[in-house]
Amino acid sequence: MHHLKITNLSSAYGKNVVLTDVSLTVDKGQVISLVGPSGSGKSTLLRVLVGLTPPTGGTVEIQGELINYNSKSSIKLSRDRMAIVFQQYNLFQNMDVMGNVTIAPIKIKKRDRKEVEAEAEDLLERVGLADKLTAYPDQLSGGQQQRVAIARALALQPDLLLLDEVTSALDPELVTEVLDTIRRLASDGMTMIIVSHEMGFVREISDQVVMMDEGRIIERGLPAEIFDKPTTDRAREFFGKILRH
Amino acid sequence: MNYTFQFGVALESLPALLRAGILTVELSFFAFWGGALIGLAGAAAKTFGGPVVSRLAQAYVVFFTNTPALLQIYLLYYGLPEVGIILPSFTCVLLGLTLNAGAYLTEIQRAGFLSVRLTEIEAAETLGMSLWQQIRFVIVPHIAKTIYPPLANMFLILVLGSSMAAVFSVDELTGTAINISTETYRWLEMFTLVAGVYIILTFVASIMLAVVGRKFFRVKARMF
Ligand SMILES: Nc1ncnc2c1ncn2[C@@H]1O[C@H](COP(=O)(O)OP(=O)(O)OP(=O)(O)O)[C@@H](O)[C@H]1O
Ligand SMILES: [Mg+2]
Repeated sequence: MHHLKITNLSSAYGKNVVLTDVSLTVDKGQVISLVGPSGSGKSTLLRVLVGLTPPTGGTVEIQGELINYNSKSSIKLSRDRMAIVFQQYNLFQNMDVMGNVTIAPIKIKKRDRKEVEAEAEDLLERVGLADKLTAYPDQLSGGQQQRVAIARALALQPDLLLLDEVTSALDPELVTEVLDTIRRLASDGMTMIIVSHEMGFVREISDQVVMMDEGRIIERGLPAEIFDKPTTDRAREFFGKILRH
Repeated sequence: MNYTFQFGVALESLPALLRAGILTVELSFFAFWGGALIGLAGAAAKTFGGPVVSRLAQAYVVFFTNTPALLQIYLLYYGLPEVGIILPSFTCVLLGLTLNAGAYLTEIQRAGFLSVRLTEIEAAETLGMSLWQQIRFVIVPHIAKTIYPPLANMFLILVLGSSMAAVFSVDELTGTAINISTETYRWLEMFTLVAGVYIILTFVASIMLAVVGRKFFRVKARMF
C-alpha cells in the first residue's frame, strides 16, 4: 500500500484549468520534490491535497483511505495526517512561538497542555529555536519564523509533510538553516513532498523528482535521471535555464 | 492680569463635580460600547454586505463623520419629538453620541477586518481549526490587537465629547460647572477646576487602557 496515492487529480480556478490528470504515489519515508516553471500548478497540487482548493476530478488516498473533498469531516480527518508549510510565513501574529506550536494540539486535539508543551520544546530544539519560546513572530527573522512554522506543522505528528517553497521568501544567508532543518527531517524518515527552486538541494535530498508543466506531470524519476538526461524538450529548456544561474 | 482667583466656592462644589464626573463616565462608556456594537454591524455590512447593504452603511458613516456631533444631537433632540418619540435629555444625548461614535467605530473595525491575513486563516484551517476556532483563536485576537489603539483613542475622545451634553442641560461635568458658576459667578475658577477633573479622568483612563493593552493585546501604547 502506498502512503499517498494521487490518481488523475484535476483542479481549476473557475474556467482556468490548472491541474490535469495528475497521478503520483508516495511511499512511507520518501521525499518527493515537485519542480517546474512558475504557474505550472505545484502550489495548487499541494493546496488540493490539504483541502484548501477543491479538486474537479480524480482521487486521493492516504494510507489506503480515500479522502472525500466534498465532506468537511473527511477533510478534517485528512488534516490529522497531512501538514503544510507555505512560502509566506503564516505564523499567528498574536501568539508567541510556544503558542503557535501548541495551539492545534491543545485546542483542537484537546491534548494535555504539559505534555504538548514538553513535546513542543523538543521540536523547537530540533529546529534550533530552543531559546525563542516566548518570542513573538515579529521579533524573529524570516528563517526563524519559517522554522517555527515547520515545528508547528510537526506538532500535529503528521504522516506527511508538504513544504511549498519554504525558502524562497528568505534572504540567502537564512536559506541554509531552513534547508538543514528539512535535511534532518528527511534523515529521521519523515515523508515529504517538497516544492523548491533550490535545485542543488532537490537533487541531494529527493528520492524522486517530479516535473510539472501547465498543470501536468511531464517527467519523473531519480534526481540524476531528471537533471542529467531529461527526456522532454520542455524539461531540458527548464533545467537549462535554472542550472545556468 | 488683575483677576483675583478665589477657589473657595469652586472647591466647595467638588462633591457635586465628582457626582457629575460619574455621569460623564457613564455617557462616554455607554456611547463607546453602543458605538462599538453599531460599528461592528457597520463594518460587517461594509465588508460582507451586498452592494445595497454596504452602501447604506457607507451613507451612515459619511453623514455622521462629516457633520458636527453637536448638530447631530440637535437633530435628534428636536427631530425625535416630531415623530412622536419623546426621550429624556440624557438618553437623547447618549443616542447622538452613540450614533456618532458608531460611524467612526465602523471605520476602525473595518480596518481591523481588512488587516486579517488570508495566509494566517489558511494556516489555521490546515491545522484543523473549525471556522469557530479560527474566529476565536486567530481572527478576533488579531483584530483586537490591530484596532486597540484607535479604540482607546475613541474612548478618550468620547470622554471629552460628552461635554456637549451640557448644551442639553444634562448635569455632567461641564453642565454642572455652568450651573454652579451661574449661581456663584466664579466662572474662571469653576472651569479651571473642571479642566483639572477632565485631565485627571483622561489620565486615569489612558493609564488603564495602556495597561490593559499591554497585558492582553501586546500593544505598545504610549501613555501621553
Ligand atoms: N487563487 C487563484 N485564483 C485564480 N487563479 C489562480 C489562483 N492561484 C493560482 N492560480 C493560477 O493557477 C495556476 C497555477 O498556479 P500555482 O500557484 O499552482 O503555480 P506554481 O507552480 O505554484 O507557481 P510558482 O512557482 O510561481 O509558485 C497559475 O496559472 C495561476 O495563475
Ligand atoms: Mg507556488
